[in-house]
Amino acid sequence: MVKKQIDPEALLPLRPSVFHILMALSDGDLHGYGIMQEVAEHTDGQIKLGPGTLYGAIKRLLSERLIVEADERPDPELDDERRRYYRLTDFGQKVLRAEVQRISKMVSVAQRKRLIPKTRS
Amino acid sequence: MKMPPQRLFQMALFAYPREFRYEYGKQMEQFFRDCYRAEKMNRGRLGVGGLWLRTILDLARAAPREHLENLGKDNPIMKNLGKNALALLGSIVLIVIAFLLLSYGRKHEISTILIFGRTLDALTTAGIVGNLIIFLLMAITRLNPLRIALWTLLVVNGALLLVTIAVGSKVDPSFSLGGVMLGYVVSFLFWFSLHWIWSKASGPRPVSNES
Repeated sequence: MVKKQIDPEALLPLRPSVFHILMALSDGDLHGYGIMQEVAEHTDGQIKLGPGTLYGAIKRLLSERLIVEADERPDPELDDERRRYYRLTDFGQKVLRAEVQRISKMVSVAQRKRLIPKTRS
Repeated sequence: MKMPPQRLFQMALFAYPREFRYEYGKQMEQFFRDCYRAEKMNRGRLGVGGLWLRTILDLARAAPREHLENLGKDNPIMKNLGKNALALLGSIVLIVIAFLLLSYGRKHEISTILIFGRTLDALTTAGIVGNLIIFLLMAITRLNPLRIALWTLLVVNGALLLVTIAVGSKVDPSFSLGGVMLGYVVSFLFWFSLHWIWSKASGPRPVSNES
């Protein structure tokens, strides 16, 4: 059965926790604790995901096929092989890009209104 | 006896739905173990206290959400909660309109408005009582929904018609048997048509996998 492709825009705006989880996974596969550490680092420790929020979001992201469980395991000697790693799908990447574009448009509007200074490219 | 933090966290996991615990419980334990180790090493008791506080707040937020999601997943009543609320609101609006029209009709002795008002009366009364029984029967039995609707609406409209004839003829000076009967016939046809359209739109009822 061919699964109907959902428009990435239809899932926007993303909840902050979901946005940060997808952002953390954009660099590569991570397990739950790794995602939490990455999110805390990106947000200067402002967002520390709790276990319920994190795995609740992971459950929904898996069902919407924005992420999948990674097949390849890291070297068992370096890491606990019982951990599950998660990977951003192509669709997840599209949704993340769409959300980043949406946010950057809002930032441009805020810059035009001189609410925040313009960044030099 | 001092309870190890892992054991306490395992107990806290019972606040989540069983399916969620089964799927993610072990990972959540591992996650907590990692956090606990890091906080104890980096910030000592203060860090551990902060971790517990965050974990409890997270539990209070996430566990009800998972339970609600679980309820809505397989329960048609919860799934259609918005639609049902709208239908209920619509019924209340209809009652108010019928009441206003009837008051106006009585005051000015306009028989067409009285008949219209009686039809709306029948529609709302039979609608609320009938649909409540239909939804309850659909939730607790595996009978054909259209058949439930047909028999419930027949019985409810018939019973209300008999009550209205028995009581209305004694207390309402402008009572007309034809108007009341017309109201309940329209009510039956209206509600049954709605259920028929609904059953066609929603397709056949899925067969439960549970034996």
